[in-house]
Amino acid sequence: MAEHHTASDCKHKTSSNAGGSVSGNGRPNSPAGCGGSGGLSGGLTQPAGWQSLLSFTILFLAWLAGFSSRLFAVIRFESIIHEFDPWFNYRSTHHLTTNGFYEFLNWFDERAWYPLGRIVGGTVYPGLMVTAGLIHYILNLLHVTVHIRDVCVFLAPVFSGLTAISTFLLTRELWNQGAGLLAACFIAIVPGYISRSVAGSFDNEGIAIFALQFTYYLWVKSVKTGSVFWAIGCCLSYFYMVSAWGGYVFIINLIPLHVFALLLMQRFSRRLYIAYSTFYIVGLVLSMQIPFVGFQPIRTSEHMAAAGVFALLQAYAFLQYLKDRLTRQEFQTLFFLGVSLAAGVVFLTVIYLTYTGESHLPVMLRYAKIHIPIIASVSEHQPTTWVSFFFDLHILVCTFPAGLWFCIKNINDERVFVALYAISAVYFAGVMVRLMLTLTPVVCMLSAIAFSSVFEHYLGDDMKRENPPAEDSKQDRPEEGLGPNIKSIVTMLMLMLLMMFAVHCTWVTSNAYSSPSVVLASYNHDGSRNILDDFREAYYWLRQNTDEHARVMSWWDYGYQIAGMANRTTLVDNNTWNNSHIALVGKAMSSNESAAYEIMKSLDVDYVLIIFGGVIGYSGDDINKFLWMVRIAEGEHPKDIRESDYFTPQGEFRVDKAGSPTLLNCLMYKMSYYRFGPYTRLDFRTPPGFDRTRNAEIGNKDIRLKHLEEAFTSEHWLVRIYRVKKQENRQALDHKLRNIAAKQKYTSKKVLPSLFH
Amino acid sequence: MWSGGAAIFVLVSCVFCASALADGLVNEDVKRTLDLSSHLAKITAEIQLANHGAARVNSLTLALEAELAPHLAFIGASVKGEEEEDEGLELKETTLHGQSGKFFEAQLPSSLAPGAKLRVKVETVFSHVLKPFPSHITQAEQQLVVFQGNHYLYSPYPTRSQTTRVRLASKTVESYTKLGNPTKSEESIEYGPFKDVPPFSQDDMKIHYENNTPFLTISSITRTIEVSHWGNIAVEETIDLRHTGAYLKGPFSRYDYQRQSDSGISSVKSFKTILPASAQDVYYRDEIGNISTSHLQVLDDSVEVEIRPRFPLFGGWKTHYIIGYNLPSYEYLYNLGDQYALKMRLVDHIYDDQVIDQLTVKLILPEGARNIHVDTPYPISRSQDELHYTYLDTFGRPVLVATKNNLVEQHIQDVVVHYNFNKILMLQEPLLVVGAFYILFFTVIIYVRLDFSITKDPAAEVRMKVASITEQVLTLVNKRLGLYRHMDEVVNRYKQSRDTGALNSGRKTLEAEHRTLTNDITALQTRLKAEGSDLAEKVGEIQKLDSQLKDLVCRSCQEAERLVAGKVKKDAYIESDKTLSGKRQELVSRIDNLLDAL
Repeated sequence: MAEHHTASDCKHKTSSNAGGSVSGNGRPNSPAGCGGSGGLSGGLTQPAGWQSLLSFTILFLAWLAGFSSRLFAVIRFESIIHEFDPWFNYRSTHHLTTNGFYEFLNWFDERAWYPLGRIVGGTVYPGLMVTAGLIHYILNLLHVTVHIRDVCVFLAPVFSGLTAISTFLLTRELWNQGAGLLAACFIAIVPGYISRSVAGSFDNEGIAIFALQFTYYLWVKSVKTGSVFWAIGCCLSYFYMVSAWGGYVFIINLIPLHVFALLLMQRFSRRLYIAYSTFYIVGLVLSMQIPFVGFQPIRTSEHMAAAGVFALLQAYAFLQYLKDRLTRQEFQTLFFLGVSLAAGVVFLTVIYLTYTGESHLPVMLRYAKIHIPIIASVSEHQPTTWVSFFFDLHILVCTFPAGLWFCIKNINDERVFVALYAISAVYFAGVMVRLMLTLTPVVCMLSAIAFSSVFEHYLGDDMKRENPPAEDSKQDRPEEGLGPNIKSIVTMLMLMLLMMFAVHCTWVTSNAYSSPSVVLASYNHDGSRNILDDFREAYYWLRQNTDEHARVMSWWDYGYQIAGMANRTTLVDNNTWNNSHIALVGKAMSSNESAAYEIMKSLDVDYVLIIFGGVIGYSGDDINKFLWMVRIAEGEHPKDIRESDYFTPQGEFRVDKAGSPTLLNCLMYKMSYYRFGPYTRLDFRTPPGFDRTRNAEIGNKDIRLKHLEEAFTSEHWLVRIYRVKKQENRQALDHKLRNIAAKQKYTSKKVLPSLFH
Repeated sequence: MWSGGAAIFVLVSCVFCASALADGLVNEDVKRTLDLSSHLAKITAEIQLANHGAARVNSLTLALEAELAPHLAFIGASVKGEEEEDEGLELKETTLHGQSGKFFEAQLPSSLAPGAKLRVKVETVFSHVLKPFPSHITQAEQQLVVFQGNHYLYSPYPTRSQTTRVRLASKTVESYTKLGNPTKSEESIEYGPFKDVPPFSQDDMKIHYENNTPFLTISSITRTIEVSHWGNIAVEETIDLRHTGAYLKGPFSRYDYQRQSDSGISSVKSFKTILPASAQDVYYRDEIGNISTSHLQVLDDSVEVEIRPRFPLFGGWKTHYIIGYNLPSYEYLYNLGDQYALKMRLVDHIYDDQVIDQLTVKLILPEGARNIHVDTPYPISRSQDELHYTYLDTFGRPVLVATKNNLVEQHIQDVVVHYNFNKILMLQEPLLVVGAFYILFFTVIIYVRLDFSITKDPAAEVRMKVASITEQVLTLVNKRLGLYRHMDEVVNRYKQSRDTGALNSGRKTLEAEHRTLTNDITALQTRLKAEGSDLAEKVGEIQKLDSQLKDLVCRSCQEAERLVAGKVKKDAYIESDKTLSGKRQELVSRIDNLLDAL
């Protein structure tokens, strides 16, 4: 179905282009072929009406195509929240809708990061939850009884339509309407954006790209008009962006960069001054209203560029003003004075910041150093490969430099902006796979410009030439035949490219980005499908059959899912804010059972959950992630855990008999392979205890657990849950609230200070 | 402790009701069957009653032991007719002074004359009377349960002779009471016959045996039935399910469960729910989404759903799910004018031998239903009615809420709801949608047509006016160019047909149309001038060029005439035609350029 849509979409792209070229020539195309047919309907004689109808239709179809091509997962599986982070977002949205907005802002989640808890209200970007909650609220107000889950699932596809429209608006400002429509069609189906906005992927990026594009549109508009109205609109949009995604930093650096570049290019104007001053002041105040952002915009280094450019712009405007009032000589002295004064101020500030340690750059570096194993362990933080550029953008990645060139060739204020946008986004996308997302919109816009100009040239001229031959006698035709042929060939080639692009987008979306990853599917030889629903099986077991306050230890990847689906307390989760806590869990997983038991006892762990793919050959399981656990644990506990212990003397990581004894006896290994030794699949080619993920017969088949017992294992062994036994020979104590005698309290107060003095 | 005694009832003809037990009824012969093969205790007693008194007897009393009475889920009595037709008796709870237990009074269809006999069948179902013992077992162990009851029929009347037969779930019996030296065969135990048992006798019966049938209990179910007069009835059941057998002790090993067939024998892997035959769009889900482990089978007279919980249910484990489906309303909704009657099952089949601890039924009637009256098959407690709002509702749909505890399969019966509904109200929702769209479009029209800007921009207005005029000019000029092309065709045709009349008439129409068009353009030109636009000059230029063009057309026309008349040679004509068309080409392109400039 979606394929059909994209195909039709492609057709519309070409027709949109015809419309665009017509508008470019400012001439109706009616005289071309249809000769003197005088009785045309009123609509045809009004090109403006046609144009807006066409634009509306194309944008609507782009929205529809974008929406429907994001529904693969819903059609194949169900309306379900995907992956990991979306589960947290869903859980907090659910909290928001059930408990109200203020309760959400003040939410202290005691179910995460046991025993620390997490102040959720102050550590999230609430834009996504508030958007979904608001939609849900309005719908319910109108008695449209939609479950909040469905609102969350379909939010990103709906917003992709809004993204298409804002991309259209932005491209129209940069180039023309035809390019805008092309860009809207591109962004609607481009995989680089779909990867983050399929139905069910309820994540910040889904709405943030819309906010990003819309902010940029309003910014370009306000630079063009110099009106405070548009600048304020830009600020509001920026505020929405800040509330939605940490990527707002990209905006607050790109816009100052644009202003700075314009200043360097001698393109200062009052419009720019009004736009930027308004944007900076109002945007700054608004962005500080988000609790999670707070005072960062005036404190941290990544916001300093904006402040610096603001100051520079004021100074520049002031100098311009003085220039009109003073003589040349006076002005020069003043200029030098001003420059040296400014240099001095900057110098002193730097000295001050370094001295007081207020500069956050070293802090950030230190932070990153500690966190490097964690940051590096996330696959989306890896550098982008060339393949993924092509995979996510297909033909657009080849054509967008052409668009950039067109823009630079006919430069003006807003095209400077898009050039800077393109260059910076390319850089960021090269650093991290994840930031491909910010590159995608600009690539769509520039490619649309490239395609649009080509079509304008080849399709538009075609008509012009066709006009005279129609009036001419037949003799002239053979001479001019070559021109139209080349043009039609070029046009056909371009259309072929677009068609292949649409096919590629659909294919990538369907195959790469439409798996909920909570539900797995396998296909039999006859094409029938098996659904492996082990994750939900185990999570639901936890939800139903464990104590409501049970604490579940697992690797941090599964924290959000456990909280969302199992509704149980977790020790660590995907909000990896506390490295030492994660390291402790990593240490427990990589120690031997009795050492791990001590850690688990100290953390009040009731259940341990692990993912084991050995039975069905699922490669993303905990044994494959195990080295990261070891590394992170080693970072905090270098004395107890050493990565080298887990390798064979040859430096290999093996789970079979040749594996290192430390590995073969650590808790993770034991839990993964407990009772797996005698396990055989029905085929007798493999020995018992054959791990299908790592293609090895496990080395330690006789695993006995002393402090743990198997509590649950899902049908395909994908999720295994162990119960931590209570200590023997003692009566199990209920976890009652501690009662500390009042007396003790007073004495401790007196004693403590003396200890320190 | 209770002194035992299995379930039971007695019939007594009771002229003065209550405690008058000496009214002469006697249980001549009693056959009791205790069916303990599932997790329910189903006790049936077939009683041969005789009236040994002097007066006619109109009603009889059934009694239940105080120990079993709280677990009673269902009681029903019927009279065995001569023609093998059973006639159900209506039961009413009463009390007997000085006796413990629960008592029901049944009115006989016809009074029993002295000395007459009557066969009565009493059926009772008790839930949660089979207690797992030991209460915690490991995965490999079998589930053993204990049943405690009464050897005798608990009855307010004396019994002459009775036998008791106990059906068990398996051959394995740990122990059983041996009153009267019972005989035990494969899966049953026979007690009796006991002779001349006095009224209200109890003797403790205790059977400890293996029972691996699924001890599934629905701890609560909410059944929502939403009636739409557009042809659909949506049913949704939210179910809390629990395994109430022996608790699982120690670990659950998936390996054993998969490899050994007798591992976890008392656990529940799946069960079948039978839905009505017309059920459509069945869904089976829970809070975290669709439960993918289910199968649907559409049979002729029903739809069978094989419900497999996400995980096997062991003792003490619970789960929660939602099952829902749609039914066509014509099968369940009847109407006569404005009067409607809905006849639906109050509770439906979920699994065989089901036990429902708590049932809540919510019946959502269409918005505007009035005079609601409910006929229930058995007493059920009604709560306060609620209002429910869903798509396009304005004042809410009435919701009937009813609750009942402890239900079994015998409670699957129809409830009838009568109400009045004005059919005009059906139009309310479509009209609402139409109205909403009307308002939307109207607002857009208003917004587009009116100017809401707070500042006036005269320049922009002029620009817009000029743009519209130029647009008109463009179309007119193009039309005019079209005329020339048309004229060319006429000339060409003339060259072949040599029909001067056609040529002349063509020329005339050209002249006429050309004049009107030119006049129109001139009028527009003056308007442009009035707006102070410099485009007027360009239009003037176009006009000038056009007049030249027209001359050329006329000339080519004349040339053609001359050619046809033989005044010029063909070569000369071609020559001149070429020059003419060259000139025209030039003029047209110049006009085109001007148009582009516009």
